[in-house]
Amino acid sequence: MIINMKYKLNFPDADRLIEKYYDGLTTSAEEKQLKDFLLQRDLPEQYRPEQAIFGYFTHKNEKPSFRIPDSIRWVGVAAAIGLILLGPQLFVSGNQSDYAYIDGIKVSDIGEVKSRAMASLGDISHSRDEVQESFKSINDNDLIEQQLDMFSAVEK
Amino acid sequence: MDNLKNSNDMRSIKKYVMFTLIVGLGSILPTLQAQSDLQISKAFDQYGERKGVVMVELTDEMLNGYDFSLFKSLTIKDNPSAAEFIRKCLLRDEVGAKKVKQVVTNGVPTSIYLQLPRKGKLYRLILFNEIFTPEHKLTLIYIESKNDTEDVLKLILKKK
Repeated sequence: MIINMKYKLNFPDADRLIEKYYDGLTTSAEEKQLKDFLLQRDLPEQYRPEQAIFGYFTHKNEKPSFRIPDSIRWVGVAAAIGLILLGPQLFVSGNQSDYAYIDGIKVSDIGEVKSRAMASLGDISHSRDEVQESFKSINDNDLIEQQLDMFSAVEK
Repeated sequence: MDNLKNSNDMRSIKKYVMFTLIVGLGSILPTLQAQSDLQISKAFDQYGERKGVVMVELTDEMLNGYDFSLFKSLTIKDNPSAAEFIRKCLLRDEVGAKKVKQVVTNGVPTSIYLQLPRKGKLYRLILFNEIFTPEHKLTLIYIESKNDTEDVLKLILKKK
């Protein structure tokens, strides 16, 4: 009687149902009854194999499985595509990367930055004139004549 | 079987996160590091924030008709050792590059234009110039552009 109070099924009945279950003769009501019995805690060791069998099914039904919802997947894919297209602009370009350092002081005013950039380009384009000037002086007939005169003076 | 399913879920999450990270980083890193393979990047790092120096960085800007993806310049006054350092950097960066122009004064290159190999869709150019009068001044420019470097160079040299 104590057993009946503690467990949902007494052991002899449980044994009978288990035997019937293995023979494939149990009804669904009996299987439910057996399952309820086996899911109880503190059952004797002898019921472990059957507990494992029924425990598995219960575990399967009760444990929540984690799955990324399709909608979130598609949002993720869209975000990744967006990152490909806009990533460089977001992280690299834009006003954040337009700056100048003047004597170690950072300047972000775009007008000032552009003016400094143009000044440095001016230095390069100005160098072209220097090169041309140097070519001009090389081709300068007067200079060549002066140099030849120097040689003729030495000969005399 | 339940554990198997959970581990499959975790694997798919990991794959998903990895995919997003790879795609994200893959899109950003090439742009960030286009210039870092060059020795002159050291000159920008070393001298950019010093006194007597002007360093400029512009990205995707139109500069009076110039269309640059990246423009970096360094102007240094009265610092011959900086000029020496930059010349050494340029010697390394010359490898694999086309030297468009070099002017040597008293045995020292004072003007160097380098056309670098393309990086992706970007044409790259290094311009260096050093003058001694009226004061010692050197200018180092690094340009990335979608336009051909020859066109960029023509445009720069045409303008004053």
